[in-house]
Amino acid sequence: MKLITKFLLIYLCVSTVVLGIGGVISYYVIKDEIDQELKWEFLDRIDRVTYLLEQGKTFKGYDNVDQDENLIIRPLGHHVEDDVEVADTLIWDGRLEQEERNVKVSAHRTINDTTYFISTYGNMIESDDVREAVITILLWILVLQVIGAVGIGYFVSGPLFKPFRNTLKRIQEFQLNEREYLKAEETNVEEFRDLNRFVEEMTKKAVSDYKNLKEFAENASHELQTPLAIAKGKLELLTETDLNEEQYKYVEKLERTLKKLSRLSESLALLTKIENHEFVNEENINLSKLITEGIEAFEEFAALNNLQLDTDIEENVSVQMHPMLADILWTNLFQNAIRHNVENGKISVTLNSKKLKISNTGEELKVDTKNLFERFKKAKQNSNSIGLGLSIIKRITDQSGFDISYTTENSWHHIEIILKTVKRA
Amino acid sequence: MKLLIVEDNPDLLENIITYLKREGYLCETAEDYDSAFDKIMSYTYDVVLIDIMIPGGDGLQILRELKSVKPETSTIIISAKNSLDDKVKGLELGADDYLTKPFQLAELQARIKAVNRRNNLGGTEIVGVNEISINTKTMEVEVEGTKVDLTPKEYDLLLYFASNKNHVLSKQTIAEHLWGDYVDHLENLDFVYQHIKNLRKKLVASGADDYIESVYSIGYKFNTNKR
Repeated sequence: MKLITKFLLIYLCVSTVVLGIGGVISYYVIKDEIDQELKWEFLDRIDRVTYLLEQGKTFKGYDNVDQDENLIIRPLGHHVEDDVEVADTLIWDGRLEQEERNVKVSAHRTINDTTYFISTYGNMIESDDVREAVITILLWILVLQVIGAVGIGYFVSGPLFKPFRNTLKRIQEFQLNEREYLKAEETNVEEFRDLNRFVEEMTKKAVSDYKNLKEFAENASHELQTPLAIAKGKLELLTETDLNEEQYKYVEKLERTLKKLSRLSESLALLTKIENHEFVNEENINLSKLITEGIEAFEEFAALNNLQLDTDIEENVSVQMHPMLADILWTNLFQNAIRHNVENGKISVTLNSKKLKISNTGEELKVDTKNLFERFKKAKQNSNSIGLGLSIIKRITDQSGFDISYTTENSWHHIEIILKTVKRA
Repeated sequence: MKLLIVEDNPDLLENIITYLKREGYLCETAEDYDSAFDKIMSYTYDVVLIDIMIPGGDGLQILRELKSVKPETSTIIISAKNSLDDKVKGLELGADDYLTKPFQLAELQARIKAVNRRNNLGGTEIVGVNEISINTKTMEVEVEGTKVDLTPKEYDLLLYFASNKNHVLSKQTIAEHLWGDYVDHLENLDFVYQHIKNLRKKLVASGADDYIESVYSIGYKFNTNKR
């Protein structure tokens, strides 16, 4: 929900409640005011009747003063002190067919030793009418408020919030690897100015942190390579000396370990690079060609491990990705399929415009397959693999916008990548 | 053959020099930008090895300077960066080869010989090891005039052995040379043995001596001193 929609909704809810309460209050205030007015009117009428009586005018029971049909003037046989009583009374209204609250004013007046009882009642405006009027007024106010609110909303979401939306858009489009921070745009709204300044500082910091991290990852990897090269060289020189079999075996083990170490640091550097989105120059890659050629290169290794290879590769399947990543992705996938296979196993590769699927036979995995794509999650902890292969595969597919999934059944392992193919060239 | 090695790490320098000396190469060294610059300006070398990251400047700048005054010099870049961009840049500047650390000394030596063969004007493209001669241009191998029919991998293997004769080469080294990154994750290196077995068979059948010795069935040595 947009901020402005939410704001309007809250505003309207509050308005409705306020108008409701206001309506009730208005109703009673108006009603009260009218009743007061009516009371004064009736008192005034009684005074006039008194005056007329004093002047010697006689009323026969019910007589008419100011066309008041409810006026009662009745001489009493006994003496009562002058008094005035104002009361509410419920009178049946034949036309409305309901009891209506009326104001009733009754008084005793003694004129020339005769005590008269003077009384009248009535209502100026029926309560229904008052209610209707109040509701009509309030509805009009509500309508005007809705119109006003929508107008304000339009203005707010339009020109007023423009700097905010601009900033939001720039943040959305912000990319770390472009190494450009977001310079604060000028605006005369204080909050927006603060926001823009904050965004500027944040992005500045992000850009510099990113740079540092990148440099660190790269440097760490590079700094490792020289000592590794030295150690490797020394081992080679050592093999030139007169070694016995045992010594030579140790040297060979060391060589392998060094190789693993250098691969590890290279893979970590690669992962960092992918995560830092350094491979952004995407090209059209003919995956069919890449895989067909790759399979040729791997055929020998597959054959040596007595692996049977089935391929179903559609021609000219193209995807948009960085050429180096495409190469690494495929090499890693296929090496995995060979590595984790069993003697006389099988590998099957399927490629079409929708997906790339690599399946291989292998031992059942004893680890939770959910974590398989995480770093250093290995099926066998003691294996020679460095545990980054699948991580790299996952990062590459993420980067290229592909979906990857792993399934296993009956000692078959399937890795399926849903491709985003460009076009069939 | 005269070499200049531009590398700031003394241990790595020592490795390279020790390995290459056995071939009778004349090795000079430069440990920073200025001394490297002085040397390439003052002397002529057959091959210059350049580390990209050196104190006092950029190895690629040395390459530029060298190519501007002595374009015929063969150059190999040694870099800790396995980055495609750097590789492309280096090769565009005229480097003959690009080697990523950590490299095998045997691989370095093979590359030095290869670039030297390619660039050495009037030099020979024939690599001769006793009765075996390898024509690196036509990629043909002859034993005393008889042609030996080798697969591309066997040819590569033989050339690698010839470039590193009398050195012990481990299976790992050989596998990396022949298949590069493809063998990165493979534990079983038996395929190296298969190729070596076939190569030996073919060479012996053509009348050559059996030079390839197994070293405790872990490594191999092309021993030319057997005769």
